[in-house]
Amino acid sequence: MQKMIPVDKLARPDDRIMVSRERVLQARIDQGLPLASALPGEEDFLKFRLHGIAAGEMQAMEAAGRTLFDFPDAPWEFQLDMARQVWDESRHLEIFTKLLEYVGSYLGEFPESEVLWSCTQADDPAARVAGINRGLEGLACDVFEQIIRLAQRMGDPVIERAVDYVLADEITHVRMGSQWMRKLTEGDPERLQRALDFQANIDNLFNFQGGRTTREASPQVAFPLGDKQINFDATITIAREARLLAGFTDEEIDRLYRAAARSTAY
Amino acid sequence: MPDLGERANVMGPQPIMRRTPVPSAMITAAERVLELLATCKPVELAALAMPQSESDVAGIAAAVRPGTYDHHEILATARVKDHHFVKARLRGPRADPFTVIFRLGEHDGRWMIWDAINLTGRRGALSR
Repeated sequence: MQKMIPVDKLARPDDRIMVSRERVLQARIDQGLPLASALPGEEDFLKFRLHGIAAGEMQAMEAAGRTLFDFPDAPWEFQLDMARQVWDESRHLEIFTKLLEYVGSYLGEFPESEVLWSCTQADDPAARVAGINRGLEGLACDVFEQIIRLAQRMGDPVIERAVDYVLADEITHVRMGSQWMRKLTEGDPERLQRALDFQANIDNLFNFQGGRTTREASPQVAFPLGDKQINFDATITIAREARLLAGFTDEEIDRLYRAAARSTAY
Repeated sequence: MPDLGERANVMGPQPIMRRTPVPSAMITAAERVLELLATCKPVELAALAMPQSESDVAGIAAAVRPGTYDHHEILATARVKDHHFVKARLRGPRADPFTVIFRLGEHDGRWMIWDAINLTGRRGALSR
């Protein structure tokens, strides 16, 4: 079996549509939508976001499994952690599949993009976990915290509790990634730097062209959600508390804030 | 996942929003596009292409040889707001299947092709 599966080799069944992120963004541009991924306030935001997360959980499950397979010489405890993560992500996928049904959607309603899989393209396990566990799962902390707050605003305990349950796992995944990134690069500062650089590229990839801000800086907009009218964030926010729980340092979170602010300036 | 049967008859949380139906007019337009492709009518097909997709549509039309395919099927649809990606396959008795993705969206009241990808012989649609 091939190791290091490249982005264009990620397989899906015939009844699924997977296209590049650029093509999805072009479809948004052609309809006069902002370049960033769907933002709170847009029609279908909740469906689109939960669908994106479900696809993300699937790719995270595949990524953890691939990490296990791609690095057979990694420490046994590392392999055990990756195996555990495969199981966690598969449960998350089941949860989000059911949440999709709950909000009147289904897997396949929206196209899946390859962008998350592109974050697995590292041939060093330290960089791999830096990218996936710290970059992507860190982003998941942000996105999940925001959905939990949105569900609270909606008065919807089903979404709130389901996503809170998943967030607890994501926090452990980030911690796991931080631990292994440091352990695998012990005594090799250059390797650690390469892993951190790989993660930084991923953090930059998800700046959403100004669509990401701190929670405090996010303008509030009114929009319909199901049969309710909601006032909520107009941007994708960075969840400082959840990231601190996950073991990110204040300095790392401040760097994300600064990068988001720079992106807004563009 | 097990089939829980009629959703409204089972215990537990019920959906809070309705499904958005796939527009039947879009499916009709997609069927028309596939028919034009299978019957090798590049001029009619080009008339349905937005300027940005003209060359891709022409390339796909040129890749189909006359008399090769006698039926087609829509494999999947997926939407971005009101635009729909449609994955479809042409089949013929003596040819490998021909697989394409079109993105259809309304423009001035007509369903037009905004994007087109030839997936034939490829694993996915990820290269631009």
